[in-house]
Amino acid sequence: MADYTIDETADITDVVCPMTFVKAKVALEELDDGKVLSIRLNDGEPVQNVPRSIKEEGHQILKLIDNEDGTYNLIVRKITLEDQT
Amino acid sequence: MKLTVTGNVKEYADGLTVAKLIELEKVETPMYVTVSVNDEFIASGTFEETVLKEGDSIEFLYFMGGGQR
Amino acid sequence: MLLSNEQMERYSRHIILSEVGAKGQKKIIDAKVLIIGAGGLGAPAALYLAAAGVGTIGIVDADNVDLSNLQRQIIHTTPDVGKAKVLSAQETMNAVNPHITVNTYHEFVEASNIMDLIAGYDFILDGTDNFPAKFLINDACVLAKKPFSHAGIIRFKGQLMTYVPGKGPCYRCVFREPPPPEAVPTCRQAGVIGAMGGVIGSLQAMEAIKYIIGKGDLLTGFLLTYDALKMDFRKVKLPKVSSCAVCGDNPSILKPFDYEQAACKL
Repeated sequence: MADYTIDETADITDVVCPMTFVKAKVALEELDDGKVLSIRLNDGEPVQNVPRSIKEEGHQILKLIDNEDGTYNLIVRKITLEDQT
Repeated sequence: MKLTVTGNVKEYADGLTVAKLIELEKVETPMYVTVSVNDEFIASGTFEETVLKEGDSIEFLYFMGGGQR
Repeated sequence: MLLSNEQMERYSRHIILSEVGAKGQKKIIDAKVLIIGAGGLGAPAALYLAAAGVGTIGIVDADNVDLSNLQRQIIHTTPDVGKAKVLSAQETMNAVNPHITVNTYHEFVEASNIMDLIAGYDFILDGTDNFPAKFLINDACVLAKKPFSHAGIIRFKGQLMTYVPGKGPCYRCVFREPPPPEAVPTCRQAGVIGAMGGVIGSLQAMEAIKYIIGKGDLLTGFLLTYDALKMDFRKVKLPKVSSCAVCGDNPSILKPFDYEQAACKL
């Protein structure tokens, strides 16, 4: 019933703040507009902060899947905002 | 009359010239200062005959060397 | 080019910024900046640009490190005294960031070499201490259509402006001709607080970074003046002068030339 296809994946479970967001952000920048990225992230601080930061950048959060092993998969669609400056 | 001199509004006597203002404001290196009035540069030979008027905004720009040795 | 994990970590505080991101950091890594003068202004600017990851940085300076330089030229250290400033600078920059290329030019800028020196660079930073050099850098950058940052510091004061071809006035629009050598002291004769080089040189580095990433407003058409004693920053508007001898409508300066350099009296 997923209405998206995952185009790329990123794993940010091996880093801590702020590298979690940095890695996710770089992975998103490498993606074409409209493509979908699945990001594997840890419970706790990453799952609290990374989705929020990504949303603030203008991307669309499609889903957060609890893997029930202390990690989550965050499904994000890349949205390129108009230049902010 | 009121003039804005390097950003500060002050009262000056009517008929003041750029040359006289340079003297009043004790401008450093008066021979080599660049002067702008209302965002236009004043040619350096014409300070004596350039008369300021109410509301003019004057800036002094200085040569500044230094930084390397 | 993909950023490596190491680059992502090293430049993470840049990448986090929405104005920079990985895209902006790649621009910084691809950029080439020439710093003329490895002194009070050039030292902090070179350190910040090296740390930022500017991929190619050229340093021009004919001098050797002197003990009296260390009060402000923070790229040089006590064991560097006597060493060529360009080599001392290169060592420190590569210690901060081994991934950048530092090109050294152990020479003075002159009309005969300046066009070749600036040719391969995207942005030029004037960190020289004398007016013949400042006018030479201005003329060469205008003629070669290179953006550059002018700065000067003395005592408790500093100033800077940014020239971008086709956007606003050049240094010569404002100051026309160098003053006679005896008229204006350099910081060698008048003194300067070391942190002044840090303030103004860092602002020059900031202008270079903004130019590279293409974000924000540059200091074109303005002279920023800083008076440390009054703790006053002012942005003074500069008109473009259509009669300017080098960037005006009918320029008389068509190639760089040297002004008589005053012999050092110290």
